[in-house]
Amino acid sequence: MNIVVCVKQIPDPADPGALDPESKTLKRDGKLILDESDSYGVEMALQLVGDSGEVTLVSMAPNGEVSGLRTALAMGAAKAVLVSDDALKGSDALTTAKVLAAAIGKAGEYDLVLAATESSDGYTGVVPEQIAAVLGLPSVTFAKAVSVDGGTVKVDRQTEAGYDEVTCPLPAVVSVTAGVVEPRYPSFKGIMAAKSKPVDQLALADLGIEAANAGWAGAGQEIVEVAAAAQREAGEIIEDDGEAHAKIVDFLSNLKVI
Amino acid sequence: MYEWSDEHLMLQQAMRDFVAKEILPIKEELEHGDLPPYDVLRKLYSTFGMDEMARSTFAKRIAHEKAVAAGEPVEEKPSRHGGGDAGYTLIPIIELCRHCPGMVTAMGVSVGLTASAIQAKGTIAQKERWVPELLTLEKVGAWAITEPNSGSDAFGSMLSTARRDGDEYVLNGSKTFITNGPYADTIVFIAKLDEGNDPKDRKVLSFVLDRGMPGLEQPKPLRKMGMHSSPTGELFLTDVRVGRDRLIGETEEVSKGGRDGAKATFQQERAGVAAMSLGIIEQCLELCVQYAKERVQFGQRIGDFQLIQQKLAKMEVARMNVQNLVFRTIELSRAGKSMTFAEASAMKLYSAQVATEVALEAVQLHGGNGYMAEFQVEQLARDAKVLQIYAGTDEIQTVAIARALLA
Ligand SMILES: Cc1cc2nc3c(=O)[nH]c(=O)nc-3n(C[C@@H](O)[C@H](O)[C@H](O)COP(=O)(O)OP(=O)(O)OC[C@H]3O[C@@H](n4cnc5c(N)ncnc54)[C@H](O)[C@@H]3O)c2cc1C
Ligand SMILES: Cc1cc2nc3c(=O)[nH]c(=O)nc-3n(C[C@H](O)[C@H](O)[C@H](O)COP(=O)(O)OP(=O)(O)OC[C@H]3O[C@@H](n4cnc5c(N)ncnc54)[C@H](O)[C@@H]3O)c2cc1C
Repeated sequence: MNIVVCVKQIPDPADPGALDPESKTLKRDGKLILDESDSYGVEMALQLVGDSGEVTLVSMAPNGEVSGLRTALAMGAAKAVLVSDDALKGSDALTTAKVLAAAIGKAGEYDLVLAATESSDGYTGVVPEQIAAVLGLPSVTFAKAVSVDGGTVKVDRQTEAGYDEVTCPLPAVVSVTAGVVEPRYPSFKGIMAAKSKPVDQLALADLGIEAANAGWAGAGQEIVEVAAAAQREAGEIIEDDGEAHAKIVDFLSNLKVI
Repeated sequence: MYEWSDEHLMLQQAMRDFVAKEILPIKEELEHGDLPPYDVLRKLYSTFGMDEMARSTFAKRIAHEKAVAAGEPVEEKPSRHGGGDAGYTLIPIIELCRHCPGMVTAMGVSVGLTASAIQAKGTIAQKERWVPELLTLEKVGAWAITEPNSGSDAFGSMLSTARRDGDEYVLNGSKTFITNGPYADTIVFIAKLDEGNDPKDRKVLSFVLDRGMPGLEQPKPLRKMGMHSSPTGELFLTDVRVGRDRLIGETEEVSKGGRDGAKATFQQERAGVAAMSLGIIEQCLELCVQYAKERVQFGQRIGDFQLIQQKLAKMEVARMNVQNLVFRTIELSRAGKSMTFAEASAMKLYSAQVATEVALEAVQLHGGNGYMAEFQVEQLARDAKVLQIYAGTDEIQTVAIARALLA
């Protein structure tokens, strides 16, 4: 079984940089790293294929960035397809999905496409479903457990109340929620091997996508305003006069959490 | 090499993640309790496949030695370091030293000193018997030369003895300050062959002992100033009987009376000290920069005071210099070369001194907080000091450098 995993490379959240005042999008000039959200998809894919298949990474990122891909290759993915093109600057979620769908077409035979539920920087949470629509494949979201049996994939799909058991035919696009598996550390051997694993670098033309339909030119979405997040309100401090537990119980039941 | 490569940085990040997840939660027990560091070190080894890699590197090197012994044509001897890159050995040292330098001492003595002593002078059978499990940390190793009355003058005043008795040797003596002594499974014990001759003419022989041998005592750890995540202890030997198979090299015909085997071991230790120093310096500098930005006195950040700025600038100079020494070590090993004994001494002397200086200045920069155990610089200052004492004191390094200059 072969699995394609969409991995986004993002600015290091520990040093997130700044928004471009003009376009109101995140500046992505510096080094990008593997989005932690995608490390779960990579781990899940590696567990699913085991020794009997390959994991291929697909990513769209500026400036031929491969740092985040190398991290996932060191974990054990076999190869990667990277789409990088100046004409992609300004691409919205749908363009991103079209580009990724086309790149998946260059990733060889596959049975399953995994992505994260939402990225850490953009978190629109729509790209995986858009990819599925573009590819004409079934889409399952919020997966907390995934298993494959012959031609079908079985997914435990997280809901507010618990989870649904969903099955659907392969190939399919499944987006996984964060924290559902423990991403492995890259081994020393994996790190050494990552450098020589193939990364296929493609431009828009290689995917048959017109520049006029991508980037700023093709964006159907526009960021009209950026507002500062509201300051967090100071917490309420309850001094323990022997009755603190009752006040805490009241507080929590007001919130309807107990 | 003028900067870490992308692979080095990936390794560094992975180590940081491991330290944050596996070591920091138990740091209190490692540094202030009695939790020995071996289990978490083994976890480090298995998580990153360091054990598997050590096993395969050993297998390649031993196959090479067997081919040489059989007179078969051979290629260059495979490197000790995984993938031929010493960075893979040194980066874990640097990253662990930011938090628990003692763990590096415990690890280094086991996989470095003890395994190397057997690997350098042992027979092929001895290597196969003891080295793989030391390299993977399945077995804990100790290397014992220091005695209560013999430290810097390790060979001159050594009192431990080996006496022949039929086909066997009878070993007696006490060792002290032995890293991993209390927990070691495999011990390299260094003694003088007593043939009734003048002690200063006696040959120095090394023997491999196993935990639990009759007559071998391994008392509990000594209390010390720092490096608490590295257990240090004494060893007492009373008429411990060993066969020739435990005499390293299985021969009494040791070159330079056995004094050069130990010397080669010292040298390797010295490169490790530079990497340890770098970890301590990097961590101190980061903590100090942060504190200098946050701590306010006289209405300004203390970082605005020139005397504080000077401390930070000196720490940065130390960091750059020691990092360059580490880079040089990596480059030399990549080129298949090694430092001269005097150069290794100079590197050890300088790194140990600046690490201690930086750590003490880090305490100073933190004021009263710096003296409190709650702040990490307090621990690093205690830990750094030993770098000037073990693996050859500052004074002994100085003598070695001067001797080479004046030769
Ligand atoms: C008007 C507009 C302009 C923009 N301009 C720019 C720009 O100039 N430069 C720029 O870098 N971004 C720009 N963006 C961001 C845009 O390209 C996002 O990457 C895209 O909208 C995906 O959104 P998301 O990260 O919220 O995806 P989500 O739907 O939250 O992502 C879910 C999952 O899909 C997969 N995925 C998403 N994106 C990628 C990717 N790129 N590669 C691989 N897998 C992926 C991952 O698995 C991810 O976890 C712009 C967005 C808008 C709306
Ligand atoms: C934490 C720790 C772990 C250790 N681990 C090990 C281990 O695993 N195995 C092992 O065998 N040993 C180990 N040691 C011992 C260590 O190597 C010795 O402590 C060190 O070599 C110094 O010897 P000494 O303590 O006897 O000091 P001494 O040699 O007595 O030195 C006292 C002082 O005199 C100075 N001095 C001595 N000779 C000269 C000279 N010729 N010129 C100028 N000054 C001189 C020294 O520099 C020092 O300042 C360890 C020590 C410590 C503290």
